[in-house]
Amino acid sequence: MQEILNKLIDRYAIEPIQENRHNQAFVTIEKNRLPDVLTWLRDYEDYTHLAFITAVDYPEIEKIQLTYMLHNYILHTDLGLRVLLDRTRPEMVSIHHLWKQVATYQRELREMFGIDFPGSPGLQENFALEGWKDIPPMRRDFDTKEYSEKTYFPRPGRQTHDPKEYMKEKLYPSAKEDK
Amino acid sequence: MKLKDYLSPFYVWKRAFDKPFTTRKPLEDRPGAPRYRGFHQNDMEKCIGCGSCEVICQNAAIDLVPVDGIETTRKDSGLRPKIDYGRCCWCALCVDICTTGSLKMSNEYIWIDSDPEVFRFVPGASEKPWKNTEAGYSQHENYTLLNLDRIDMPMLTPEDSRKSFIETVKGYSKEEAMKEAQRCVECGLCVATCPAHMDIPDYIRAIRDDNLDEALRLLYDTNPMPATCGRICTHLCEDVCSIGVKGEPLAIRWLKRYIVDQIDDTRFKAILRDEFKPNGKKVAIIGAGPGGLSAAYYLVTAGYSVTIYEASDLAGGMIRYGVPEYRMPYDQLDQDINYIKELGVEIILNNRIGKDTLFSDLYNNYDALFFSTGLNDPYKMAIDGESLPGVFSGLQILDDVTKGIKPDIGKSVAVIGGGNVAMDAARTALRLGAESTLIYRRREEDMPADTEEIHEAHAEKVKFITQAIPLRIEKTANGKLKFIWNNAEMVAKEGAARPSPIAIEGDIQSLEVDAVISAIGQGADYSFLPPEYESKIKFKRGKVIINENCQTTVPKIFAGGDIANPTADAISAIADGHNAAKGIDKFLNKK
Repeated sequence: MQEILNKLIDRYAIEPIQENRHNQAFVTIEKNRLPDVLTWLRDYEDYTHLAFITAVDYPEIEKIQLTYMLHNYILHTDLGLRVLLDRTRPEMVSIHHLWKQVATYQRELREMFGIDFPGSPGLQENFALEGWKDIPPMRRDFDTKEYSEKTYFPRPGRQTHDPKEYMKEKLYPSAKEDK
Repeated sequence: MKLKDYLSPFYVWKRAFDKPFTTRKPLEDRPGAPRYRGFHQNDMEKCIGCGSCEVICQNAAIDLVPVDGIETTRKDSGLRPKIDYGRCCWCALCVDICTTGSLKMSNEYIWIDSDPEVFRFVPGASEKPWKNTEAGYSQHENYTLLNLDRIDMPMLTPEDSRKSFIETVKGYSKEEAMKEAQRCVECGLCVATCPAHMDIPDYIRAIRDDNLDEALRLLYDTNPMPATCGRICTHLCEDVCSIGVKGEPLAIRWLKRYIVDQIDDTRFKAILRDEFKPNGKKVAIIGAGPGGLSAAYYLVTAGYSVTIYEASDLAGGMIRYGVPEYRMPYDQLDQDINYIKELGVEIILNNRIGKDTLFSDLYNNYDALFFSTGLNDPYKMAIDGESLPGVFSGLQILDDVTKGIKPDIGKSVAVIGGGNVAMDAARTALRLGAESTLIYRRREEDMPADTEEIHEAHAEKVKFITQAIPLRIEKTANGKLKFIWNNAEMVAKEGAARPSPIAIEGDIQSLEVDAVISAIGQGADYSFLPPEYESKIKFKRGKVIINENCQTTVPKIFAGGDIANPTADAISAIADGHNAAKGIDKFLNKK
């Protein structure tokens, strides 16, 4: 693992590096260098398998973080490449030319996080959310509970109790009327 | 068509007798994966009905409902989650947030019924095939959504603390308090247990939102002595905190202290906005302890003219004279008292009812009376040598030190007892330069003192001798005192709640000390009550009988605090004061 990390530092001056386990590490790189680094890792360093692409929304720093997870079948090591996108206009270079299946991942990320991948085939097609009009549901400012309450009407006859109020009623009802 | 096209269907027959790759129908058993998130299970005994599952559910699929056979207790709301499977998305956040770990998911996933209503159910309440299934999803042992560890409270080291009366607990910084406040799940289970029913989750939320003005208002809604309670409260709330089931309970008491620590007392009036119109009625209060002060605050803010009669030379009662300064600095107590005085409450000091002022005068000159005179008559050990010089009561020592008198306890003391007064006396003796040995008749786990007090006494190197029944005190030839006891064994008696110490015959021990401090409890002194009133007020086992409005059997006389309630702590006295104020208001407005 250390060897590939050293190479990455030498070649791309990449820092910082977060090593999780002896066979797993994450590096954060500048977003425009990603296709270059991925190509080199895939074609020269045996990181031939793209396991997944995933995103995390960080509204507190106005960024969306993408993670590209690579696997090396010879060494059995995992390398995660991270890039940070501007949250107000999240756009990322498409890498569907490196792995054909990436187009599907990018379609999903467009739908769930609202990230644009210009040139990615079929990007605007529905992935799972047919007819979705709200903000992308995986954005942290999307209120799942509010959406759920608005969209799915409650079943008649439902009733809940607040533990604090219920305990007052049961354990010290005399204090009830005065406060 | 080629010949191959005619023949190829027959090649299939080549595999006619091989084992098929497909699954044979009808399907028999296809269990879910070991950590599959299937139907919910809930251990009804373990669940405390905190409702965290309901709050976290992003689909609003969970309601809390009463369930037959589940009682509401101090530690259990008596409610249980009911899940609507029409909404559940099996995300398992409810399992991950569960404060007790009672909520789980089995790996069962087949449930067929033609009635849609059955899919709203209370897991654990009814017999379901998956009720006791082992496999399924439960909390991971190394991962939790809850913060189970308390933010450490900065404290003086025991080596430093035992040298002086400087406050041992330093208090949270803003960052620490906000972090600690983050741990609260706002279940509100604690509110019922707090004698004053303080809005605990609400003021913790105000800390989290950094809205301390609001937090202070919430404190004063139910407790006008927050600087005091933020330090010496018995914090029964923390015993029932839902986070305490798996981890360390929220430091509720210290968070309360943090609120008051952060706000300059000159701003209290502006923040609390206590405005009231005098209603022309007068109430007299006997005793300026927490009960009397609390009643005074709620009465004065309801428009009454309030006068407190206090026998000592300063207000505060047992908080001032019975709690050492290293736990309760006097300026903090003064802050609580000063605000109440600022509102117009008159406190007449050095005025003992029955001696300086007659009880009957108060009864005749005021519209109502409230007395909260406390327990300040130390119990006697009833052993020989108790009246020898060098034998003190714990209260006497604490009282002297508050007044700046250095009691003559020499270089070594034996403190008899296991309550908070005993701990306070033992630790005060250390600070006066004496070695302290605590002698208690039962085991350490039987001691009525607060756990922290016992812990800190150990840390400060108070010696503990337990299971020791006092026999007598003798004067030795070199002018010292010899405390003699009989070692005891703990014997469980049928029907008794806890085992009793029984003397082991002949196993007699002794310790030579300069002073013996007896702190085995205290009783009430009702000498201020003239016989004609004492005969009308009902008592039971030395305690005044009061109704839920703190009214005694004489309608115009109200009482509360240690002389009336069984818990006999500051927060209960404060709650009594509040109830009495409400009771007096009700009583006087009915006429």
